[in-house]
Amino acid sequence: MSTRPGTHAAAAGKVTAGVAARMAAIVGARNCISEASELSTYECDGLLAMRVAPGLVVLPGSTEEVAAVVRLAREAGLAIVPRGAGTGLSGGALPVPGCVVVALSRMRRILAVDLENGWMRVEPGIANLDVSKHLAPAGAYYAPDPSSQSICSIGGNVAENSGGAHCLKYGFTTNHVLGVRAVLADGSVADIGGPVLDAPGYDLLAALVGSEGTLAIVTEVVLRILRKPEATRTLFATFPTTDEAGQAVSAIIASGIVPAAIEMMDRLAIVAAKAATGVDWPEVGAALLMDVDGPLAEAEFTVANAERLVRSAGALEVRRPRDEAERALMWKGRKSAFAAVGRISPNYIVQDGVIPRSEIARVLGEVERLATEAGLRVANVFHAGDGNLHPLVLYDGHVAGQQQRAEELAGEILRMCIRYGGSITGEHGVGADKVLYMCDMFGRDDLETMDLVRAAFDPGRLFNPGKLLPTPRLCGERPGPYVPHPAEVAGVAERF
Amino acid sequence: MAVARRPGAAADAVLDAVPPVVFEPASTAEAAEALRECAGEKRAVVFVGGGTELGVGAPPRGLGAVLRTGALSRVVEYAPADQIVTVEAGITLAALQGSLRGHHQRLALDPPRAGEATVGGIVAANSFGPLRTRYGTSRDLIVGVTLVRADGVVARGGGKVVKNVAGFDLPRLMVGSLGTLGLIATATFRLHPLPDESATLLLPGLAAAAVRRLAARLREAQLEPAAVAVVGINPFDAAVRFEGFTASVKAQSERLAAIAGELGAACDRLAPAPAASWWERHDAARSRGAVRLKLAALPSQFETVAREAIGAVATAAAGSEYVGYPTLGLGFVSAPAAGNGLAAAIGAARAALERLGGSLAVHAAPPELRAALDPWGAAPPALALMRSLKAQLDPEARLAPGRQAGGI
Repeated sequence: MSTRPGTHAAAAGKVTAGVAARMAAIVGARNCISEASELSTYECDGLLAMRVAPGLVVLPGSTEEVAAVVRLAREAGLAIVPRGAGTGLSGGALPVPGCVVVALSRMRRILAVDLENGWMRVEPGIANLDVSKHLAPAGAYYAPDPSSQSICSIGGNVAENSGGAHCLKYGFTTNHVLGVRAVLADGSVADIGGPVLDAPGYDLLAALVGSEGTLAIVTEVVLRILRKPEATRTLFATFPTTDEAGQAVSAIIASGIVPAAIEMMDRLAIVAAKAATGVDWPEVGAALLMDVDGPLAEAEFTVANAERLVRSAGALEVRRPRDEAERALMWKGRKSAFAAVGRISPNYIVQDGVIPRSEIARVLGEVERLATEAGLRVANVFHAGDGNLHPLVLYDGHVAGQQQRAEELAGEILRMCIRYGGSITGEHGVGADKVLYMCDMFGRDDLETMDLVRAAFDPGRLFNPGKLLPTPRLCGERPGPYVPHPAEVAGVAERF
Repeated sequence: MAVARRPGAAADAVLDAVPPVVFEPASTAEAAEALRECAGEKRAVVFVGGGTELGVGAPPRGLGAVLRTGALSRVVEYAPADQIVTVEAGITLAALQGSLRGHHQRLALDPPRAGEATVGGIVAANSFGPLRTRYGTSRDLIVGVTLVRADGVVARGGGKVVKNVAGFDLPRLMVGSLGTLGLIATATFRLHPLPDESATLLLPGLAAAAVRRLAARLREAQLEPAAVAVVGINPFDAAVRFEGFTASVKAQSERLAAIAGELGAACDRLAPAPAASWWERHDAARSRGAVRLKLAALPSQFETVAREAIGAVATAAAGSEYVGYPTLGLGFVSAPAAGNGLAAAIGAARAALERLGGSLAVHAAPPELRAALDPWGAAPPALALMRSLKAQLDPEARLAPGRQAGGI
């Protein structure tokens, strides 16, 4: 496996035996990991290409323990890297040398549920899907649904402002977090927001959600919970090329429909999904998978309207699942498309970028042109409704020069997203992976202003140093290749 | 370059204080220059859009200048196919909606006084109307911002795509910042299609318990109203508006009628003209009154809110009105003038709301009442962090100093 150095800030202090013993006293000896062999589990997150051994890993069991850990780390001059389930794809939980990793995986209780007012309070280590499973008997759910939702944690979702296929209608994590309890860099505990709306003062949650572990450690989260929609209708349509599929997306949006989700796959992605899951999809140029939901009359009307629109946009075939099992299989095909790409290519780089929705057809054309020039193939599976591309750059690491060409192509796609007025990340975060591209997307004054926000929370840059915001020194360096996450290889989790 | 300035006049007053100097920049660059000049001259500065929400919070501790955003009124970029618009902060909501209507789109925000309220002011004051029921506030719709810091530095956050997690979320951080963190120079929003059909159903004369039950039943029944509002003081008239495709509006209206039956309430679908005048009455009630207070609690606490907060104020001030959003737990009480005992009644109402975990904020009050009232109530639990944020972005505390909660 190729690795590349973390683009971390300079290491802070070093974990001494004395500090390790005091940490163990705080969290309990079995929740404090200092053996090199055990530390290796924590040397990367879902971005396996970057690895750094932490100095120490602690698994606190309460807000008080987290606060005590932070105070001790601060006293010892140690950087702190918070960690949820470790499924992140941008190296947000990548350790910095000698740091203390604070893993929240033991804190996974549900503390309160208030169905009438639509909120619940949970600890950050709970898995996203376990929240909705808990609510299912009451007909409620938590809306954001990142594809790793069976294993990714709510705390990680808060850190990354996670999205998912259904955020087109329902919004992102930031629209569904009402409050948090957080341990700040000085070791104090702050309650920010809560179930009652519009608490006086600044909207600190806006800064905190999506801050990638750089501002505070969240130890409790108040989530907005929704009543399940009365009906969901799903539509699968195939097209000769991505041009017609893109036109269909535009026509649906222009008609006033707000789909719950609308996803596009190109030919390579369809081939891969078929190979992996056995869905009986034809090998066509492009496919769309769409959900509409809401009151029954709304869902029925909307799906019929959407079917008419995709047909007039040139659909080859339109399918509506007969039952929930068939619908689940369609979504499984979609969600496994990325891991499935491993079946058609020895290696691949996953990219996450955003473009204005109306530019889909042009951008896909440009991606194809760039790929042809580089002598590589690119598979596309993405959230078409909000223009969130996930191009997969396929390559063979055993062929000399291919990996480097693939990395260059992946980077070129990101810069193209910026040129089209988009973003370098729609949902995976900046982390350590894309910190260099922040200089391409934002100017010096923009980044400096963001750094002021960081300084307001963490003046000593104790939390997750080197992530999210670049230092001027780092601008100009270039990122590296994608290596699949073990959970993904094992089929435990899908990437998107 | 020097930016034009003029002496302040009575029309420029901020809560009765007339500024010595007024800037009216016509571009972000001019706004930046104005703020650099204010920095050089150590002027405290208040940003004024339509001036509809200047009463929110405390009067600024100093007023060395007013920066009016009225000349920042352009639509910078409108991409109908992407349902994204970027505007300068001083455009009025009505003007913006007018330029979106041709493409059958809207910004899903409907605070009162749309002809005066500016987009920048709406974001800064976190103003909202009945559509918040379905679409949230500007926090849920803003995707990008250009701000000018107290030192005149221009910074961007977010972008012009809906999905974007690159960097800290400066756009949302500006929502409700009341002009104390920086000038919102431009803002970029996600848009929504205009609905094909709209239906308003009126459930008159509901007791507080029935209002609470209505909110709960709407949720249980999986209905998706665009707006739910109540007007009145025990009993309350409730209006529910469904928007969208005709078939869905019709089906949901019928389901609501059944719920009204359970509540023992009438349920009249209003014809277009009476529906429009009901919502106008709602807007007027939101804008009227020398005294306006914002009440926040949980939806399930409405009976307590009605008795101990709304009731307390109404008893102390004849002619009080209440407008609320029962699915959100938010509402506004207004009173025509500050009578005897009103300050004490507001104190009691606030104490009741704070016991419930909620809050009471002053949005308008005459000077003598203001002098007797804390504009915000209990200090926010994360006040130290809020102060720290202010100190980083406005270290000399010159942007509307003291207006924000906690005296920030």
